Amino acid sequence: MVVASIIVQSIGFGIVTAAIVAIGAMGFTLQFGVTNILNISYGNILTIGAFASLIVENNHLGLGATIIVAPIAGALVTFVLARTLFALFAHRQAGTFELIMVTLASSLIIEYSIDASAQGQTFAFTFPTGKTLHTGPFLFTTESLALIGVAIFVYAALMAGLHLTRMGKALRALSIDPKLARACGVPMRRMLNLTWLISGALAGLTGLIYVTNSLTVSANAGLDFLVLVIAAALLGGAGSPTGAVIASLVVGIATEVVAAVGGSYYSQAVGLGILAVVLIARPSSRAIATNRDEVTV
Amino acid sequence: MSYYLSTILVYLGVDVLAAWALNIQFGWAGVPNFAFIIFQAIGAYAAAVVSLGPDSGANSFQRYILGASLPFPLPLLVAAAAGALLALFIGVIATIRLRRDYQAAVFLLVALIASQVVSGDVGLFNGSNGLAAIPQPLSGALSSLSIGEYQWVYAGFTTFVAIGVLLVMRRLGRSGWQRALRASRDDEAAASALGLNVPLMRLQVFVLGGAIAGLSGGLLVGFITAWSPGGWGYAETFAILTGIILGGVGNDWGVLVGTFLVQIVFIEVPSFLPEFGYPGLIDKLEWIVIGFMWLAVLILRPGGIIPERRYRARLSGVGGR
Repeated sequence: MVVASIIVQSIGFGIVTAAIVAIGAMGFTLQFGVTNILNISYGNILTIGAFASLIVENNHLGLGATIIVAPIAGALVTFVLARTLFALFAHRQAGTFELIMVTLASSLIIEYSIDASAQGQTFAFTFPTGKTLHTGPFLFTTESLALIGVAIFVYAALMAGLHLTRMGKALRALSIDPKLARACGVPMRRMLNLTWLISGALAGLTGLIYVTNSLTVSANAGLDFLVLVIAAALLGGAGSPTGAVIASLVVGIATEVVAAVGGSYYSQAVGLGILAVVLIARPSSRAIATNRDEVTV
Repeated sequence: MSYYLSTILVYLGVDVLAAWALNIQFGWAGVPNFAFIIFQAIGAYAAAVVSLGPDSGANSFQRYILGASLPFPLPLLVAAAAGALLALFIGVIATIRLRRDYQAAVFLLVALIASQVVSGDVGLFNGSNGLAAIPQPLSGALSSLSIGEYQWVYAGFTTFVAIGVLLVMRRLGRSGWQRALRASRDDEAAASALGLNVPLMRLQVFVLGGAIAGLSGGLLVGFITAWSPGGWGYAETFAILTGIILGGVGNDWGVLVGTFLVQIVFIEVPSFLPEFGYPGLIDKLEWIVIGFMWLAVLILRPGGIIPERRYRARLSGVGGR
């Protein structure tokens, strides 16, 4: 009976984790689907968002400012990285593998730059968790309900944007076949800029959400969290926000249940385990939706 | 100075072994093993837990499994076996037909998670505090030597092992197996079409690399006598890989030169410079520079200092010149 209630509770926590993972995975999968770059530095953009939130918070500028600053910081850094470094390699006809090496190097540089400026410390973030509410069998704080709300809002906005606007249609076309999209007159440069900005902003937002939930942040926070984000994004299929959200739920709930039952240090291994099973069992249908090797920046 | 040189020599031997191991996986077979450091790590842990002996009470601050105390060459063999065994499991990722960037990402995740699990699970290898007071090989039989002399013996032994591995590598480098591996790296579909069993060859080279990595870990831990998750962060793989890329992917001598430049000249020498800033700042700055070095090599000289020798097939008979 006790075990059962622990499991039910951990499912509740899992939904909260899933909400944070989902916001990150949506940004990751959108950018991955369009540009075909598996961007490891995405995790560090998340860290930048978290630290930006921390700085705003420490200056007592209020939550409103945080919500604006974190996504902008993420979007700016991502945009600059993409337009300078990634673009340089893309113009040299580098393939997907060269680009992951480049994003990794950027990741290393950003992570240790933050770590060096943070003097290797872990910082506490103050955020009111609000009241604890009984929602069905689950216990949620108002803060975590708000967080789930943000995830739902982002998903709705992204889906509306992708399916109802001309720009969204252009983006989806670009993600399926860049050459054909270009031939049909899709303004590549503008669409790609938009992709990088959205993905960076979502990474920054994820950083903010992450820090309001974990209440601590250190330089390696983003990269550790990236484990779940990549697992969810690859599991859900590149370029599919709906897939990313569903996969985030699977990954989020699985990790929290395992953390509750077997120990927190095995929790992320579960996300990887699920991903490995999917990649091994159904490599063609899921992971390799497109087999193209060229990238578009 | 003598002490310093022998230390450097041991590190160079260990790092070059690791770099060659990664080079056969990455350079020959094209497997982007971004989790490489965990194979060195498990070798080190394996060698540690079979030489530490049972928990005597004096070391009750640490918990670990096994607790055997095997005589000298055995811990190293166990280390290599542990690396090979882990590679047999993880190598499945290398054998499935997957985009290389997916593969790379999955390996990276493996490295990140392995570190979390080992840090968290204290019963395994004493968690994030790690293992300490690991007895040095033959420290009993060689107890008449001074510390400085023992260091040179260890350096000599490490060099001996490294040369042995190099000879094996040179021999394999001329084999049909290695040519088949490179063919499968450059064009997997064509290699498969020629009847080569690409997954099996990848698994073979992965296990061989894992064994050498484990061996290098065993050698390292016998020298530094302590091992903890802080010593094998995911980024360590990229220090090794930077050496390989800088020297020349797929080229034994290039890898040696690159490893010397990155691991010794760049990483070890600054630790003898005067400290500046807060403690640990230099380490962090080193990682930043390694990131820039990596980018610089990719931009300026993608083939490395000594690029891979282009293989020319000598055809006799039909179709040959």
